[in-house]
Amino acid sequence: MLCRRLYQFLIVYFVGLGLLFTMKYMAGLSDYVIPNPRELWDTGCVVFGRYLFDAIDTLFVAMIGHILSVCLATVVGIVGRLATWTGSFIKLAAYNIQAYPVVAVAPIIFILLGDGLSSRLLIASMICYFPLLLSFIGIFSEPVADVEHFYSATGQMTWYLEVKIRAFENMSKLTTVIVGSATLAMVGTIVAEFIAADAGVGHRIRIALYQSDLARILAALLLIGICTSLYLAILEWIGHLVQRSWGQPKTT
Amino acid sequence: MTQQQMSIEANQLSFKYPGTDAYVFRNLIFQIQGAGFHSLFGPSGVGKTTLAKILSGQISTHTGHISTTNGQGRVLYSYNLERLPPWCSVEEHLKEVAPLSNQDKLQDLAHQFGLKPFLSSRFSQLSLGEQNRANLTRYLLQDFDLLIMDESLANVDERTKEHIILKTKEMFPTRSFLYISHNVLEVSKFCKHILVLRSPQKIPQAISVKGQDHRADSPIVKKDLERTMLEVVHAV
Repeated sequence: MLCRRLYQFLIVYFVGLGLLFTMKYMAGLSDYVIPNPRELWDTGCVVFGRYLFDAIDTLFVAMIGHILSVCLATVVGIVGRLATWTGSFIKLAAYNIQAYPVVAVAPIIFILLGDGLSSRLLIASMICYFPLLLSFIGIFSEPVADVEHFYSATGQMTWYLEVKIRAFENMSKLTTVIVGSATLAMVGTIVAEFIAADAGVGHRIRIALYQSDLARILAALLLIGICTSLYLAILEWIGHLVQRSWGQPKTT
Repeated sequence: MTQQQMSIEANQLSFKYPGTDAYVFRNLIFQIQGAGFHSLFGPSGVGKTTLAKILSGQISTHTGHISTTNGQGRVLYSYNLERLPPWCSVEEHLKEVAPLSNQDKLQDLAHQFGLKPFLSSRFSQLSLGEQNRANLTRYLLQDFDLLIMDESLANVDERTKEHIILKTKEMFPTRSFLYISHNVLEVSKFCKHILVLRSPQKIPQAISVKGQDHRADSPIVKKDLERTMLEVVHAV
């Protein structure tokens, strides 16, 4: 799983790099605009250790932000599934708020919370939270009549059982949504770091941008891709394990 | 569970689904009384499932009057597409949903319904017939006065089906069952009364035919069974 993710990313990365070099040599661009392969390699070797630490830092913030989002989306999704005024209000609010670009409010977050960990975490969470929430509300609001009927008819239905039935029924959807939103968490963290934070690989990219150092940016992109692939592969593996264990009989 | 025997009475019952002009029932009148197997019979789309849902309280937007044992009694509605939850084995589920007072019946029902070899399996691993038997078993483990069985024994072979119905009659002599099926032989043979539902254009919309109510201790008379089947077919 990890290997597949990694080689898919590396193919895309090196194809992109190839296109960049093609453009450089065809248009006769200087090394200042697009560095030559030798310079790129040398820069990569110099910054690898530092950038790797930053990329891991970013990955951890993204993971924590993602976990927070999943937990929050689960809670709000459970309340939002209700056919009550509160449920309808939460659904409506979620649909409206998610349409607003989180990046646009990011400067406010930095002004209020500063450029530390909390701002990065909050922005990462917010960026992946709304797609998660919409999916969770949709999944938890959709009755699984064929399974739920018995419990409702016999008066044995509880909110916990209802959520459990719907989660089990839509496990592959939930896994896909969680894996998909992990990319958004990584994007959110990098965006936050890029805007104003004082740490992480996004912060390194911002510095490299100010110095117009494309080699450093490309090195950072390589590490971001590897870290993201690693995280997605871990999530897919967990999802695969959960689905497999639920699908198997306890005794045969 | 109430001691009084179940009776179902409908008077001037009318119903149409929201957003449609066509009536499913128009001034429907019928009465079913007593314990045992009763049947709802009729062609597809005539409203058997709709009537079952009205009886079980899932649909309440009808007009007219319908009651079960003067408004008392517990009515359960089971249908053949129901599924057991996927996270546990059939046995675990049955133990979990059976009231304490009925736990002792579990093994007996599992034995009678031929479920023993599959108790440790998950629901998704069973054949359609086994799934329907497992579903019916969990309903029989509940306290009820009337159990509506909407094609609940679909995909079960004839011999097993007969065995299950006869055993159910034997084990639950004071309970009422409303058996919904398209099989004229089945309803004529096993049911006390067959309520034949017809289209709303026909008057009356429901005709009651007396069935043979076959039991393990009462042999079936072929001639009587054929007469009942003819009555049912003509009533449609």
